[in-house]
Amino acid sequence: MNTFQYATALSPDSARQLAGDHGAYIAGGNDLLGLLKDYLVSPDILVNIKSLPGLDTIQQGQDKWTLGALVKIAELEDSIDIQSVFPGIRDAASEIASPQIRNVATVGGNLAQHSRCWYFRHRDTVCLKKGGDLCYARESDNRYHCLFTGNTCISPVVSSLATTFAALDATAIVLRDGKETPMSMDALYHRAWENPLAHNSLEPGDLIVRVDIPTARSRSAYMQVSDKHAFDWALVSCAAAANIVGGKLDKPRVAVGSISPVPHQVEAANEFLDGKTLDDDTASQAADMILKDAKPLQQNAYKVPMAHALIRRTLLKLKG
Amino acid sequence: MAEWPTNRKYISGNVKRVDAAPKVTGKARYSSDIQANGWLYGMILRSKWPAAKILSVNLDKALKVPGIKAAVVARDGQFTVRYYGEEIAAVAGSSKQACLDALRAIEVNAQPSAGFVVHEDDGLKQDSPQVWEGTPNAGDPHVRNRGDMDSAFSECAAVIEGFYTSPVQIHNPMETHGNTVSWTDEGVTAWASTQGIGSVQDGFSGALGVDRSKVRVITDYMGGGFGSKFGPGVEGLLAAQLSKKAGAPVRLMLTRFDEALAVGNRPSSFQKIKMGALADGKLHAFQFENYGTAGIGAGADRGGGGGGVNIPAPYLYKVTNIHASQRGVAVNAGSARAFRAPGNPPASFGMECAMDDLAVKLGMDPVQFRLINDPVEIRRNEYKVGAAAIGWKDKYKKPGSSPGVVKTGIGCAGANWGGGRGSPDTQGEAQINPDGSIEIRIGVQDIGTGTKTVIAVVAAEMLGLKPEQITVKVGDTNFPPGPGSGGSATCASVSPVTFDICSNALQQLQSKSGIADARGDNWFAACKSLGVTPLKVTGQWQESLAGGPAYGVQFAEVEVDTETGLVTVKKIVAVHDCGLIIDRLTLESQINGGCIIGMGYALYEERVMDRVSGVVLNPNFETYKLSGIADVPEIEAILINMPERGVIGIGEPATIPTAGAIANAVANAIGVRVPNLPITPAKVLAALGKVPPITA
Repeated sequence: MNTFQYATALSPDSARQLAGDHGAYIAGGNDLLGLLKDYLVSPDILVNIKSLPGLDTIQQGQDKWTLGALVKIAELEDSIDIQSVFPGIRDAASEIASPQIRNVATVGGNLAQHSRCWYFRHRDTVCLKKGGDLCYARESDNRYHCLFTGNTCISPVVSSLATTFAALDATAIVLRDGKETPMSMDALYHRAWENPLAHNSLEPGDLIVRVDIPTARSRSAYMQVSDKHAFDWALVSCAAAANIVGGKLDKPRVAVGSISPVPHQVEAANEFLDGKTLDDDTASQAADMILKDAKPLQQNAYKVPMAHALIRRTLLKLKG
Repeated sequence: MAEWPTNRKYISGNVKRVDAAPKVTGKARYSSDIQANGWLYGMILRSKWPAAKILSVNLDKALKVPGIKAAVVARDGQFTVRYYGEEIAAVAGSSKQACLDALRAIEVNAQPSAGFVVHEDDGLKQDSPQVWEGTPNAGDPHVRNRGDMDSAFSECAAVIEGFYTSPVQIHNPMETHGNTVSWTDEGVTAWASTQGIGSVQDGFSGALGVDRSKVRVITDYMGGGFGSKFGPGVEGLLAAQLSKKAGAPVRLMLTRFDEALAVGNRPSSFQKIKMGALADGKLHAFQFENYGTAGIGAGADRGGGGGGVNIPAPYLYKVTNIHASQRGVAVNAGSARAFRAPGNPPASFGMECAMDDLAVKLGMDPVQFRLINDPVEIRRNEYKVGAAAIGWKDKYKKPGSSPGVVKTGIGCAGANWGGGRGSPDTQGEAQINPDGSIEIRIGVQDIGTGTKTVIAVVAAEMLGLKPEQITVKVGDTNFPPGPGSGGSATCASVSPVTFDICSNALQQLQSKSGIADARGDNWFAACKSLGVTPLKVTGQWQESLAGGPAYGVQFAEVEVDTETGLVTVKKIVAVHDCGLIIDRLTLESQINGGCIIGMGYALYEERVMDRVSGVVLNPNFETYKLSGIADVPEIEAILINMPERGVIGIGEPATIPTAGAIANAVANAIGVRVPNLPITPAKVLAALGKVPPITA
């Protein structure tokens, strides 16, 4: 890695100031250290944000819960309260990386992590995402890549929490030049949908401070399929959230991960599900709608049936 | 003729590793932990091109990086690199970061080749860019013919055709390749992560032009090699040159990234099999065409068996009519090396899949089909033992007939290993002190398999002492020469030598002390009679105490989710004959490890080469996937103890049949064959016909 300065910030404002235009925030550092070591980023300063006050707590409210950006993934996994109110978050957290990583990885870092595309991460390929002129994955090996994209890059979002937060209609609060900017999960990743160089919509100096999760949906679920049984990225992940009132779905939302640069959501499917009795056939129809416009490539078409199965199963899991 | 004792206290028992405590407390110093006085870090610059002419390499700027003490070019003058990751230069410096910075400061003037080829099928094409100029990538086939194939197939009651493929697998030992090397006027000392201190000594001596007597190789603790660590390697020789230039010891351990590129792998296989059996189930005709790649080379044999493409076929079975043709395809990728049971895991996978497919077509139970065709009685017995242990009779059902979305299946496969007999050249010595302490020295190395423990167990048994009373020293070329740890030969090499050392010691103690039996309770009295002079005894290998070959079979039970494609292995039963078991614990550990690697081969592992850029796409444990703890099922090791066969090595046979057994269990579960390893969810869904065709 290249040399950098290191500073610890004690307030969000000083963090922003220290970061300047070419700094990077560091908390768990799981993603950042990899990027640094592979010379994929070379910030001139690392600003330690682990001491920012109040960002490491889970606050329970009537209408919404707030997860501080510094809350560890392991806390989401272990919290009995999260388990009972947002089981989808708990299940997503338990699938992230390994116990060692979950002990230091944070909510903010999980959302802000960069692409895992093996061309982007490779030290000797200059792909579109790194400013080159070729999306190697399109031309060559795309087994882990997108079914949907708004641009040429087909690197998918891999944050399991983002998928779950999308289904729960959660909002990330981003501190942008001293101002709190609320961003839906769609907004948080939208730039990656249209711009191959981006993996999220954060600007230099932007700091995710917390995530607000509405309690409007009492049920949530998350499932993923990987090549292996643990410590492996999702090939496809799916989250769903809703109420079930009188046997019928209320405010249902479904999001699918690892198939698009953004958590993949189809409003028409959510509307279709609203007020329906949850059964295999209904779930299957919703899955059809969600995957209707998928554009599989040479090696990732398996994600279509896999996602279909996951959508059905995750929805049915809402029944408990 | 020497014979093993029949009344045994420690041999065939459960003795914990003599070095368990230092290993789990971190006291053990592995080669990668060695900190020789004034040592420097070493690091290698590798080619970022799959094929290029290197016109010049300028080290000036690298040498100016603070902390850098030496830099060398991998080869003199202009040279050609033929794969991504081939060595270009190396640096030594006082910190890791200094070396990293220096590597980036090296100026390489290269002429990348317009053409390169990294996939086997591309290499087979007539017009593919040549890896070796003037030589076709596809070599001449090795052909074997017997009988008349046309009439043979027409005589068969059932014939199947399959195309079974296995990918290039990377050794990925936990400890990477590398050495700490000190080269001074006095000679060379290398702390090597190696499976062959003797072959590394030879390698340094030959390549550096230093008398063998002036090269000392030390390997105290070592974190695995699986066949890829018999020589000093390019990395060892570069470390030596850097050491000489810098006037300091250089520790050059490779990174995980390097491991995927340049230090060996198991060749791929693409096996087209057409096979037929007569109505009584006897195999009658076998037609085999195989190709695969060993990268740029055929896999130089460095003392542990080759890394060649050709595999034994029709493997365990005798077939009257055979047409077999095999050839290697050169591609721009790192060369293969011997890898735990070279040639056998792909051979077992291809053939055993074909066996099951043919059994299904014949309407015959796969175990029964093997009992009819397997010529080895020991293995036929193992099939019966294993089938009973896993509950084959109840669990084997018609393929695909398991109800529901998540289907269960069961499968089996067999192994043959001709090695394991031990090396006749092995020698050893012991020093027995008047206080009764004893140190046994053999120039072998413990690569993590428990060799030190084996020596302690045999000595304790022979001398009537406890294993912890035996001091075992290995891993030093100053000791009497031992074997390279390859071919599953180590246990069967050191056990007879230890036996002989101890027999000689008892004999000499008897004549010196007059005590008729110096064992056990008499040991200390006998030793005391030595006065002030320790007794030194030597030992030789004894043919009657070792045996071979080794036979094994494994059964696997799996669950397959037919909607997501995920395969979960529920249980493996591994039945192996091991001759005389020395230590049950280390033996079971070998079998567990063999099954786990075999399972990775079946379900997860694959070196991915990128057709467009020519790089290895997964030089890490993120996308080169290895079996993890959550993937590993219950493994039941059933050891067939046959003391009358002598000591037989088990390291290699234990990994041979796992992939075939799992692949057959998957086919049994879902009713269709997934013929390509690794069996990923994507491939299961494709085999089930669930993946939509690509229109774009």
